[in-house]
Amino acid sequence: MNHSIEADGLVKRYGGKTALDGVDLAARAGSVLAVLGPNGAGKTTAVRVLATLVAPDGGHARVGGHDVVREPAKVRELIGLTGQYASVDEKLTGRQNLVMMGRLLGMNRAAARAKADDLLDRFGLREAAGRPAGAYSGGMRRRLDLAVSLVAEPSIIFMDEPTTGLDPQVRAELWTIVREHIARGATVLLTTQYLEEADQLADEIVLIDHGHVGARGTPDQLKARAGDRRLEIRPEHDADKAERILAEVTGLAPHHAGNGLISVPVLDPAVPSAVFRRLDEAGVVLTEHALRRPTLDEAFLALVSAPQAGRTSS
Amino acid sequence: MTARNNALTQGMTLTWRSLVPLRNQPGELVQLLLQPIFMIVIFVVVFGAMTGDQGGAVQHLLPGVLTQVALTQTISTGLKLAEDIGNGVFDRFKSMPIARSAPLIGRILADTCTMTLTVAVALAVGAVVGFRIRTSPLEALAGVALLLTFTLALGWVSAWLGLRAKSAASMQGLATAVLLPLTFGSTALIPAANLPGVLRWWSTLNPVSHLADSMRALFTGGPAGAHIWITLGWAAAITACFVPLAVRAYSKRIR
Repeated sequence: MNHSIEADGLVKRYGGKTALDGVDLAARAGSVLAVLGPNGAGKTTAVRVLATLVAPDGGHARVGGHDVVREPAKVRELIGLTGQYASVDEKLTGRQNLVMMGRLLGMNRAAARAKADDLLDRFGLREAAGRPAGAYSGGMRRRLDLAVSLVAEPSIIFMDEPTTGLDPQVRAELWTIVREHIARGATVLLTTQYLEEADQLADEIVLIDHGHVGARGTPDQLKARAGDRRLEIRPEHDADKAERILAEVTGLAPHHAGNGLISVPVLDPAVPSAVFRRLDEAGVVLTEHALRRPTLDEAFLALVSAPQAGRTSS
Repeated sequence: MTARNNALTQGMTLTWRSLVPLRNQPGELVQLLLQPIFMIVIFVVVFGAMTGDQGGAVQHLLPGVLTQVALTQTISTGLKLAEDIGNGVFDRFKSMPIARSAPLIGRILADTCTMTLTVAVALAVGAVVGFRIRTSPLEALAGVALLLTFTLALGWVSAWLGLRAKSAASMQGLATAVLLPLTFGSTALIPAANLPGVLRWWSTLNPVSHLADSMRALFTGGPAGAHIWITLGWAAAITACFVPLAVRAYSKRIR
């Protein structure tokens, strides 16, 4: 298969601390890969290795077909990087930041200015173009940071926690920009702590924690694998009777979610119809019922805690 | 569409990047210019008034204050490098297909420009408070060139400190610790005869004393003696030591 980003068994230690402990990653050309994990999982370290900023202590990585250690210059020709902390020059205006990038990449003055204006328009920064980046709001800075990484028209883009610390509305705006301007044609590797972000943007997700890959797959696969569907009911009266029936049919202890909602895992597809028939016979009226798939949040917790439990301390 | 692109053109783009904030934000320029103005007002005008011979004091003190101002300004090289490393700008440059040396070239060129500007402003303010160059334009220019040569040498020390420091704040602390004995343990402002024992001994060794005495000779006349050669020797020695050290520290940072 044609992979733009491939990492095999990446290991990186800082002092005595192991940030990456044998991480494998693969992103198909033109796809969006989300590396999802909590703070300190090793996400940023993985990006730093892939973007040629630090050399791994073990393993190999190829970006655009070039080895990140042996051919870093070739890799740098292909990539764009946006950092966890928007790495724009605060003392330059938005336009000057963009023009500087164009000039560094060898464009002449006119070409660099034209490129800057084009990106300012696309990222909704036209009006703020003449203000120093230090005076931008958090969302504007991230947009400028993204725009700056696109000056070179990279075919592979690394986005390290592009929306961390932004409020939900600004985050949603940024997702639109990522979908419309960044993910079109380019291969994107983004790291995030937000499940929703991975769900919204990624074709594939890799869960990492403590430098290990916990699970990988499409958002749907992960949700399906993480856990069972749950049957939720809210009886009008006779909550005790309803609970007893759920327990009898499934052989499992029902869970009370508060506000009258009772749920059980559904391991056998025949369970819901059996439950409804028994409730009907017993005369229990339901005000609400639903068969629900786990949220990605629940999937995340299930998948991240599972491999850790089985791992001996290293 | 594409222009010539190499370490030098990229370095010049990054020089522009460091200088353009002076135009963007008047506050930046004011901050840069305020330091020489304050130093001259405090040391030349106030101290000069205390001696009772204002005119003579200005002629004697201004070259000394000029060296102080220029030396203090050298902190900027390491400080700005440490800032770029700390806030992620350096990482972005590292991830780009540009010459590895470009960010360092840009820094040194930009700081040479701001140093020249600082020296020019200090001389202009000096003229306002009564300082007069008594030598030929050529000697005065030689004085400026000597000052720039010496501060460029110290700029490499500053770069080395900034590249090795854990943060911009710790760089500032280190640089101040290096600069204080150089600037105040010298004959730049106070004649050696007036300094107490150990300080007097140190001030005769201190290259800044020789620099200040060279400046006085080149701007106001009088005997330069060996001061110019000793200053140049120090500048050469510092450069020879700290260019390799700074480049090595830089290579480690940029890989």
